[in-house]
Amino acid sequence: MRRYIARQIVQLVVVVIGVSILSFCILHVIGDPVLLLLPQNAGKEEFERYRHLFGLDRPLYVQYWSFASRAVLGDFGQSWYGNAPAFQLVIERMPYTLYLTLAGFAVTLAISLPLGVLAALKRHSLVDTLCTMVATAGQALPLFWLGIMLIIIFSVRLRLLPASGYGTWQHFLMPSLCLGIAIAPITMRLVRSGMIEVLSMDYIKTARSKGMTERRVVWKHAFRNACIPVITVLGLQFGQLLGGAIITETVFAWPGVATLTVDSIRNQDFPVVQCAVVLLALIIVLVILIVDVVVGFIDPRVRTGA
Amino acid sequence: MGRTLAVVLALTLVLGLALSCPVHAQTKEDTIVYSLQSDIDSWDPPASVLREAIILGYHAFDHLATRDLKTRRVGPNLATSWRNIDDTTWEVKLRQGVKFHDGTPFTAKDVKATFERVLDPAKKMTARGNHAKIKSVEVMDDYTVRFKTDGPYPLFVERLTAQVMQSEKVMREKGDQWMGENPVGTGPYKLVKWNRKQEHLLVRNDDYWGPKPYYKYLRIRIIPEKATEIAELLSGGVDLIKAVPPDQMDVIDKSGGARTASSPILRTAMLQLDQAARGGPNPFTDRKVRQAANLAADHDGIIKHVLNGLGDRVATGINPMAFGWDPTLKPYKQDLAAAKKLLAEAGYPNGVDIIFHEGPPIVEPAIQQTNDAIVADMAKAGFRVKRVYIGDNTVLVARIKEGKGGPMFNWSWGYYSVFDADAILYDVFKCGESYSYYCNKELDDLIATGRSSLDAKKRAEIYVKAQKLLYDDAAYLYKWGLRGVWGISNRIDYTAPADEVDRLFLATPRKK
Repeated sequence: MRRYIARQIVQLVVVVIGVSILSFCILHVIGDPVLLLLPQNAGKEEFERYRHLFGLDRPLYVQYWSFASRAVLGDFGQSWYGNAPAFQLVIERMPYTLYLTLAGFAVTLAISLPLGVLAALKRHSLVDTLCTMVATAGQALPLFWLGIMLIIIFSVRLRLLPASGYGTWQHFLMPSLCLGIAIAPITMRLVRSGMIEVLSMDYIKTARSKGMTERRVVWKHAFRNACIPVITVLGLQFGQLLGGAIITETVFAWPGVATLTVDSIRNQDFPVVQCAVVLLALIIVLVILIVDVVVGFIDPRVRTGA
Repeated sequence: MGRTLAVVLALTLVLGLALSCPVHAQTKEDTIVYSLQSDIDSWDPPASVLREAIILGYHAFDHLATRDLKTRRVGPNLATSWRNIDDTTWEVKLRQGVKFHDGTPFTAKDVKATFERVLDPAKKMTARGNHAKIKSVEVMDDYTVRFKTDGPYPLFVERLTAQVMQSEKVMREKGDQWMGENPVGTGPYKLVKWNRKQEHLLVRNDDYWGPKPYYKYLRIRIIPEKATEIAELLSGGVDLIKAVPPDQMDVIDKSGGARTASSPILRTAMLQLDQAARGGPNPFTDRKVRQAANLAADHDGIIKHVLNGLGDRVATGINPMAFGWDPTLKPYKQDLAAAKKLLAEAGYPNGVDIIFHEGPPIVEPAIQQTNDAIVADMAKAGFRVKRVYIGDNTVLVARIKEGKGGPMFNWSWGYYSVFDADAILYDVFKCGESYSYYCNKELDDLIATGRSSLDAKKRAEIYVKAQKLLYDDAAYLYKWGLRGVWGISNRIDYTAPADEVDRLFLATPRKK
C-alpha cells in the first residue's frame, strides 16, 4: 500500500509540473501583457522598461525557471494589477470555488444515484427510457445556456431567487443545480450499467435465494459493489466540476477562483493566472489521489496491483 | 464510508454558508445598486489605468473642476474660480469649509501634494501624462494655489476634471499601498467595505459640502457576464448598468421593470486611410480616391437601420461635443455617380483594389454589421475591398502603431476624455504620431498654434479652419460619433452621462 501511494505521489508531481509548463507557454504565446498594461499613448522606451521590469525580455526557459523556483515556496509573484501577491488573491477566492464545487457535487449525487439505481432495476421500462432521455438532455445542454435559462425563469420571471452573486443560501441554489445537472448524466449512466452488471452476479442470486429482502439485496450487496467504478469516475469528474465551475461562476458572478482567472486572462495578469492554474491542477490531482487510495482500501484487488 | 462522506460534505456546506452570510444593514429603499463587468484594480484613481476607477473615483473624491452634464461645460467644484496671471501661470481659488472623510480640512497643501505625487516620475502614476505640462504648484495661502505651466496650456481647466484631490496627511502618514485600498477623499460617498472582484459598499458622506446623495448606501457589484447583468437589472437586483448591446435594448424596454437611455459619448469612429503612405504606396495617397470613398458610403442609412439610431454624423473626426466643433460644416452625402467619376479621374475607371483591416467588436457596437454595409456601398462605387479580420484588438493596435494598419482600417478615438478638438487632432491627424496616417504641413501648423494659445475665440477659429481642411482633403473615411447605452431600473431617475462617468449620487427615486 505504501509503495502504491508513493507511486501515485510521484505521478502527481509530474502532472503538476507538466501543467505549469504548459500554461506558462500558452500564456506567453497569447500576447504581450505590457501592450495591455500601458496606456495607448505610451512610448517605446516605456514598453521596454516595463518588459524589463517584469523580466519579459529574458529567454522563456529562464523566465520559467525563475517562476518555478519561487513557486515551489508558494511565491507566485505580485499581481500586475491587484497590488497584492498572486497567491493571496487566489487563496482568498478558493473557498468560494470549493463550496460551489461541493454543492454541485452533492446535486450530482442526489440526481445520479437514485435515478441510476432506479433505471437499472426497471431496465427497459418506461422509467429507464425516461431516465436515459433526461441524462442525454442534461449532457447535451451547454452549461452556459442552462445557467442563463435558470436565471430567466427563477429570477426574471418568478422573482424567487437572486440572479447572481454570493451571500445567502438562496444564492447557492441555481449555480449548484446548474453544475450538478451538467455532471450528473455520466455518473447516472455509470451507476445504471454498474448495477445491471452486479445484479446479474451469482452472489446476488445467492442472496436472493437466501430469502433476503429485495431492499437489502439492492442496497447492501449490489449497490456497494457497483459503487467502486463510480467512485473512481467521480474523482475524475471532480476536475470537470471545477472546469464547469469556471463557466458557472462567470454566469452567476460567483466570486471564486474562476472569475478571478477569467478576469486575469483578459488582463494578461500572468502571475495570477499561473498561480490559479497550478493550484487548481494540484487540487484535482490530490482529489484523484485520494480517490485512488480510498478505492484501494475498499477494493483490495487494486492495491495489490492486479 | 458513504455516510461519512455525506456528513463531511454537509458540514462543509453548512459551515461555508454560515461563515459567508454578510450582515445587511441596508434596506432596498435606501440603497442603490450599480454593476460593473470587471472590478477596479485600485481605489487610488491616478494610479489606475481603468475607466471604472475614474467612475468610482467620482464617488469617494472630488475634482477641482467638474463637467455639468446638462451644458457639458466645465464649472467650479473644489475650486471656486481660476484665472490667468500670465501666459504660463494659473491661479486657482479653493472652496472653504470642505473636509476629507477623516475630518481633516481640505486646503491648498492638499492640492500641491496631489499634483506633486502624480507628477513624480518615480511614482509611475498612470495619470502623469495628463498633467505633464504642469511645471510646479505653489501654495499662496490656505485657499489659493498657483500653477506654473510649460508654455501656454489651454487645456489646463479641462484637465482639472481629470484629477481627484487626495489628502496630504494620508499621503504622508499612510503611503501608496494603503491608499490603493482606502480612499480618503472629500466626495459624496465613503467606502465601507471592498470584497475584491465581488462588491463595494459605500455609505453617504453626511458631512458632504455639496448636495447630498439621495441614497444612503451605494453598492457596486461585479458581474462579469452581460446576460446576467441584464437579468439582474430586470429582476431588480441592480439599478443601473452600462454598455448595453444594441440588440438587447428591446428586451429591457419591453420588460416593464427597466428602460434604456442613450447618450452621445466623446468618441468618433472612422476608417483611417493611409494618406501618409506609412505602409508604402497605395491608392489613398490620392485625394480623389479618398473623396470617392467618403462619397460612396451611406452613413445616414447605416446609422438609422443598422445602429438603431445610435450614432451622430460628423463631417470630420471632430466630435460634436468637443471644443472647436464646427456645426456649419455638413458631412459628405452618398453620391455614387460622383464617387465613380472621381475614381475614374484618379486613374481607376475599372475600380480599385483595397485591403481593409477590420477590428473586433469591443469598442464600437455592431462594428461587423456596419463594416458589411460600408464595404457593400464602396463596392457600388468601384472599390473592390478585401477584408482582413484581426480578432485581437491588441494585435490590431500594435500593427497600427507600427505603421502597418493601412491602406484602410477600423479606428475610433476617445479623446482621452478631453472635450477639445486638440485631443484628436494631435494624436490622429498630426504628421508622424503613432496613430496618425495623415500628413499635411498646413494642418500641423494649425494644430501647433491651437495648442499654444489661451484665447478661446482664436482657438475656435483655428479649429474651424482645420475642419474645413480635413473635410476638403477627405483625410480619412469619416463615420460618426458613438453613443453609449445604459439600462436603468424603473424605480430610479437617472440621466445618461455624456462623459461616460456614471454619477450615482445624482440618482433619485422615480417620480410617479
